[in-house]
Amino acid sequence: MMKKILEMAAASAEEAELYRVRSKSSEVIFEANRLKSIDSSFEEGIGLRVIKQGKIGFSSSTDLSQSRPLVKAASDSAQFGEKARFHLPPADSTSSVKCYDDSLISLSLEQMVKEGREAINLILKEAPFLHCEGEVAKIEAEISILNTNGLSRSYKKTSYTFSLGAFLAEEGNFLGIGEGEASVKYHDWSSSVAQRILEAFRLTRKKGRISPGRYPVIFTSKAVPLLLQSLKQGINGKVLQKKISPLLGKIGKPVVSSFIDIFDDALFPLALATSPVDGEGIPSRRTPIIEEGVLKNFIYDLQTAGLMGTESTSNGARGYSTLPSPATSNFIVKEGKVPLQEMVKDIKEGIIVDQVIGSGQGNVLMGEFSVNLDLGYKVENGKIKGRVKDVMVSGNSYTMLNNVLALGSESRFIGTTRTPPIYFKEINVAG
Amino acid sequence: MKSFFSSCLKRVKADYLEIRYEEVKVVGIHYVGKELEAIGESYGKGGGIRAKSRGGWSFVSFNDLSKLKDYLELATKEAHLIKGEEIKLASLPARNEVISVEVELDPADISLEEKYLLCNRYNKILLSGKEIQTSALRYADIHTTKYFINSEGTYIEQERIDTVLGMRAIARRGDNIQSAHMGIGGVGGYGLVKEKAEQAEETVKRAQDLLDAEPAKGGKYTIIVDPELSGVFAHEAFGHLSEADFLYEDKRLQKIMVLGRVFGPPGLNIIDEPRIKGEGGYYLYDDEGVPSQKTYLIKEGRLSGRLHSRETSAKMGEEITGNARAISYDYPPIVRMSNTYIAAGDKSFEEMIEGVGEGIYVKGFRGGQTNLEMFTFAPEEGYLIKKGRLGKKVRDLNLTGNIFNTLANIEAIGNDLVLFTGPGGCGKGGQSPLPVSTGGPHLEIRDVVVGGKQ
Repeated sequence: MMKKILEMAAASAEEAELYRVRSKSSEVIFEANRLKSIDSSFEEGIGLRVIKQGKIGFSSSTDLSQSRPLVKAASDSAQFGEKARFHLPPADSTSSVKCYDDSLISLSLEQMVKEGREAINLILKEAPFLHCEGEVAKIEAEISILNTNGLSRSYKKTSYTFSLGAFLAEEGNFLGIGEGEASVKYHDWSSSVAQRILEAFRLTRKKGRISPGRYPVIFTSKAVPLLLQSLKQGINGKVLQKKISPLLGKIGKPVVSSFIDIFDDALFPLALATSPVDGEGIPSRRTPIIEEGVLKNFIYDLQTAGLMGTESTSNGARGYSTLPSPATSNFIVKEGKVPLQEMVKDIKEGIIVDQVIGSGQGNVLMGEFSVNLDLGYKVENGKIKGRVKDVMVSGNSYTMLNNVLALGSESRFIGTTRTPPIYFKEINVAG
Repeated sequence: MKSFFSSCLKRVKADYLEIRYEEVKVVGIHYVGKELEAIGESYGKGGGIRAKSRGGWSFVSFNDLSKLKDYLELATKEAHLIKGEEIKLASLPARNEVISVEVELDPADISLEEKYLLCNRYNKILLSGKEIQTSALRYADIHTTKYFINSEGTYIEQERIDTVLGMRAIARRGDNIQSAHMGIGGVGGYGLVKEKAEQAEETVKRAQDLLDAEPAKGGKYTIIVDPELSGVFAHEAFGHLSEADFLYEDKRLQKIMVLGRVFGPPGLNIIDEPRIKGEGGYYLYDDEGVPSQKTYLIKEGRLSGRLHSRETSAKMGEEITGNARAISYDYPPIVRMSNTYIAAGDKSFEEMIEGVGEGIYVKGFRGGQTNLEMFTFAPEEGYLIKKGRLGKKVRDLNLTGNIFNTLANIEAIGNDLVLFTGPGGCGKGGQSPLPVSTGGPHLEIRDVVVGGKQ
């Protein structure tokens, strides 16, 4: 079927590429402490990219039996399309990576329900007044990329996510704690996720107070991605090409504190964004972004690399319904040596940031952020004093990443970002 | 379609069953700077089945209609795996409706070339400013046909056309990069986005002017919000809290959100109203087949209603409102807002500014979020108010407040209600963006926290 569509498209174009996604997912959903719904999805879709008279055309469809309108729409759009600055890649023998787990396929709904229940029961045993909601989901996807230059690649991918939230509505004191794990591989996360929620819950039972000012701050792993938003935009080849990246001209120069190392790594075993090739069929790789604080690379897809006179870094990200665009895969911040407890001990007066609301609303490109502290703690004389709320914390993420006091010794994945907690010199607190 | 769906429905057994099916055709044009990132037409077809057993739900989404029978069986099987407390649905008379769309200037009658030329012209304007570094422009016209059928005998077919345009200008002076955005369009035809060159020019000016603005100082301020931000305030600072799915199983929250509770001054009215033609949140029937209606969330300062699905309405014993919406066939309907606004009061903008000694006038919208107690909302720009006059321009503002106090801090309500829609929309429960409109008049609010250096 795919070959036939490709042949049809090739009849009126110099090059053509088909990208197909088929996925199956099952999800068990808990609401108000109990199993509420079991959801499944069966999705498929196909995207057709052509290069016709040197220009890019594209269309997508979910109906694989209707190929004619798809081919026509892609071909029609090419007359207005941007000039292609690349050729589609030829066949390539790539080594396989670990992005599929057999044991997940046989995992039963009953088992997923059981683990969700166990986690909720653990929480309610200690805090019966909490309202828990959660989702346990498994996804199996097959991705196929086929082009007229000989590439024909198909791979399977799985993911398993376990996420849980606990909520408490008290007059003047709402609390919501969210925790979760996600990986290619199945693992029973029920007790570790429940324990993390309970640990946070215990810390919130006491109140901390803070007056406006500047304080040292620890961002937990969960909160660090907030500060990496700007960097992820700044290293994006497309943002660079438009000359709006603050990192323009900074390759080889220090851009953050000298003990920070960051990689983009689509080969990281069993991580959510792990795959043998990117969305254009370019073999996955590990790209150093920052080494010892020095900027090493920007990330590119084929077209952006072509515009910039360089090569794709295998960061062409896409779904079936969109053209590829540069995006990070697994974003790995290398851990440091300092345990979280040591960071806390070091603080005379400061805060810990764990959850925020309002991120991404400011001038992210420039690094500016200003967010409400949804879940955070006051630290006094080396001890966690209690929950702080009703304050805004703000700063510039580039400035903060240049004023890192310590990197935590333990990393974890938050979505596709793997990071330790980070201890910074200061943050502004208003309220 | 109707007879096919109803024959499939008859073959399976569940307490309640529904099939939603959608056919979508999208024409999209996307510029980033000089480069045309994407242009063309795409197609989507797919469905979602919801089955209810006595004590649980199941939802199955799919693209391949030929397997509908298998999916229906799977949905009923999975729903029966859940054995909980009985779930009831508010009762609803069966209905049969076919609603076709009527728009002036159907985008389907406009050639791709004409749309391309229009976007190209706007994009050139966006790039024309002296200190403009780059732009972003997104155009889309979306033709959707939705089919809804359930085991209670309701069948509804709804057709809809959305035409939207988002324009962004990004200015740069050395290390200083600032952007301004304009969103237009909604439910309706090509006329919604034609002749918007002036708006493109105005966006350029705002982006360039922001280069000269200084970062706002953090602290507590009296603020005046413009109608665009006033709408976001209604949506974030109150709308979400009135969505009944957050509280229908939470007795503690129900005690806090008791009807009649005073939230704001007597002149404050917050309304959710789906049936406003042309607005992003316009619909006649929600995704459970319930007719939409106007709901007062706050009436004269008091909590007076909330938004319901059939399940939350039955559970709380409150009137059904028709607010169960899904962003597309691959998601189940959940309780959502439509067009949410603060009704006009009696103060003129000039009176308001004069009445405020010191404060900030905040304009435009960059985003907002809530955790049901606190909310944030970010304006695009602000002007310091000194001695009743507008002064220096400031940037990098993010505002926050407590939902339960902030509405009571509304000092004055303007007489100039405006509704806003455009590309983008609301996100909840992983479903984003859902088209909604928000709006309000100018508002004066005291004691709002602005993040930033002291």
